[in-house]
Amino acid sequence: MIINEWVVYLLFAGAMFFLGLYCLLTMRNLIKLFIGIEIVGKGVSLVLLSTGWARRSIFLAQSLVVTYIVIEVCLVAVALAVIINLYRVNQSLDIRSLTRLKG
Amino acid sequence: MTFQIILLVALVAASAVAILAKDLLKSAIALAVASLILGIIFFRMGAPYAGVFEISVVAGLITVLFMLTIALTKQGGDVRESKTVKIVFPLFFIVFALIDIFVMRGILARIPALEGAAEAGTFGEVLWKERSFDLVGQLAVILAGVFAVLALFRKRDHHDN
Repeated sequence: MIINEWVVYLLFAGAMFFLGLYCLLTMRNLIKLFIGIEIVGKGVSLVLLSTGWARRSIFLAQSLVVTYIVIEVCLVAVALAVIINLYRVNQSLDIRSLTRLKG
Repeated sequence: MTFQIILLVALVAASAVAILAKDLLKSAIALAVASLILGIIFFRMGAPYAGVFEISVVAGLITVLFMLTIALTKQGGDVRESKTVKIVFPLFFIVFALIDIFVMRGILARIPALEGAAEAGTFGEVLWKERSFDLVGQLAVILAGVFAVLALFRKRDHHDN
């Protein structure tokens, strides 16, 4: 019974992963790409917690998810700072403008 | 379980809106809604600490950071996306969903017994005793993040010019 429900969680987490990957592969706006990364991260934390729930070790899964969330915040802060600096240099958020960077 | 499935469908729908919305501000708000729904799912799964972190930090703090960035980069924000992205999306999503269901049914057949023993203790004991080394790593990551942001926004010295 619990395995059936676990597979439902995995299915939806796979859908989240697909959404993020689709965004990363097709979009051009840097902030949009970063939103894609966030969505992939949400799918991964859903997998972690649902697997812990199915194996009845929810505390361990919870501590891993909390660790992931802390790391995610640092990642977001640094990446958005990089995006602002790139915007100051290029005056554009287009990912294609990065190909002009040389040297 | 029915309510949980409704929440999961809403989670995927909010994420799809976050990706496909043309306005970046709407994308950021849809991302916050997705985090909120994920936090509620965590609560209902019996993981209140992860839910609290997800709602307060991801839905609150990260959304504010995204909005600040969008406000600071307003002039260059309207990048033209290719038009086929939105048209092809439903097709790809349906194909992926079929593959997803097929693979997950395969997993269901492969893994007969996943029952683990119930955990003893509390969340605090697991976090502070079993995973205490993770906390050192978290502190290191936070410090690295602070120094990275400081380095990225460093004011240029006069003799550099």
